[in-house]
Amino acid sequence: MVGAVLLAAAITLAPQPDGAAVFANRTAFAEECTGTANTQPDRLARQARTTFAALGWEVGGAVGPTFTRRSLLASAGVAAFYVHSHGDLYWDPKSDSRAGGFRADAGLCLGAPIVVPSEIAAMRRGVPAASLVYISTCHNGERASRLPAAFGIPQRKVFGPSGPESFYVSYAGIAWQGAAIRFERAFWRGLIEGATAGAAFDRALLVTYDPEHLTPEWWGGYHHLPHAPSSGLPDFGGQRYV
Amino acid sequence: MSNLRVSLAVVITMFAACGAPSTAIAPSHGAAVEGAGLNIRSITTVAAALNEPLALSGIVASPLTLVRSDSGEQRMRQVLTGAGGDEILRIESSLDGSLRLVARSGVPLEGGEVTQSSAIARALRQLMRLGLEIPSGGPSVSTAAGRVIVAWTRQVRGVSVPDDGTRVVLNAAGALVGLSIEESPLAAPPAHIAQSDGALRAASLLLPSSTTITEGPTLSWTKPTDVNGEVTSERVPRRLAWCMRGTLHDGTAVEVQLDAGTLALLGWDSAP
Repeated sequence: MVGAVLLAAAITLAPQPDGAAVFANRTAFAEECTGTANTQPDRLARQARTTFAALGWEVGGAVGPTFTRRSLLASAGVAAFYVHSHGDLYWDPKSDSRAGGFRADAGLCLGAPIVVPSEIAAMRRGVPAASLVYISTCHNGERASRLPAAFGIPQRKVFGPSGPESFYVSYAGIAWQGAAIRFERAFWRGLIEGATAGAAFDRALLVTYDPEHLTPEWWGGYHHLPHAPSSGLPDFGGQRYV
Repeated sequence: MSNLRVSLAVVITMFAACGAPSTAIAPSHGAAVEGAGLNIRSITTVAAALNEPLALSGIVASPLTLVRSDSGEQRMRQVLTGAGGDEILRIESSLDGSLRLVARSGVPLEGGEVTQSSAIARALRQLMRLGLEIPSGGPSVSTAAGRVIVAWTRQVRGVSVPDDGTRVVLNAAGALVGLSIEESPLAAPPAHIAQSDGALRAASLLLPSSTTITEGPTLSWTKPTDVNGEVTSERVPRRLAWCMRGTLHDGTAVEVQLDAGTLALLGWDSAP
């Protein structure tokens, strides 16, 4: 009975395929694990959630211990996706390669379960390419990461209005949270102001974070305007930049 | 009183901009936007310096807006839009008229690769073209997503101010994508600076015992945070801090920033 209720609750909480999901690992960066209080994962998740909602998506997901491997995979089919956590080129047995991925929270300082690209690809089978994917972790902006492909986004940059209607952002190498907060805030602000994803990315590059602390990367269509199709384009007051 | 003066100036300049006809703009339209004490370079002057094709019909300058930068500085923003409402150029100036941000839109992605020295030369040329101060010291050159970033970190009394300074972003062919200048307020340095070995001991007490300190202590101007690691306010002056980097036992990179005088915790960063 309890199991049935929990299952029903999980189904209810899982976002719709045309919705958005925001996940953030809080535990691994919390005081009990690192010695110092750190609310940066909450801030990063809040910024993403606010933007997705402003672009018309209904936002699900989880921040903290309820961000488990299972809860994430249940949401993997969404149109807009954000995660902040530990990331690396983890071994993916399905592809027999170091293919990228990230850790769940699961309430663990160490050894939290890893989500690899092949698991996300399996959950997205038959689903169109995601509109906007932001993997706020180390290493998943590197070419070796298969996460873009898992969300249906080829690893190429297309400039022009006929490009793919998808945009993927992540970081190459090590990404410091302080720099990520500044970069991501500027990127989200650009989208809310009506920028195309590529223009918002360019605008964020102008934020004076230390380039040694962050190497952002993107794939997809520079001129893509992410928004929930059901809500139509948000009203940007007649202004837009490309 | 000064706030009132600024507000009045903003209202006056906004009315002036709103009243301008929405027609094509010639570069000679005006060198500066003036009004009640504000003397800010006009966006058309900047656009002309950047060789933007202002002769195209339908280009419109949007009204001035007052915004706040990441470091909390109040700025005036001007935006040029094309016939379809597409943004072409935006600039931001501090209230004393200094140009702080130039952002061009839709700068193409290009193949090729500018060399480091060529990127620096092109960045300097852009700064000179706009009459901006050439920062002292050597810049860092890095690439991100096909763009080239030439960055001069601000130095005060020989100590770096992270996230402050001048940065020029170019495409791979060397064309300007944008530039930004950030200067946070700084607190007076402490009368007595604690010894570096004391800072190291304080950091060791703060971090989990399994942490390995790998870098530092080095001095840096740091933004203070509250007990939860949140920046208290963007305009709170940065303070001089001892910074140390280390690695937690799971490999996570961490940095702690301790007040250079009292060795109290000022800030914290980590890399997931």
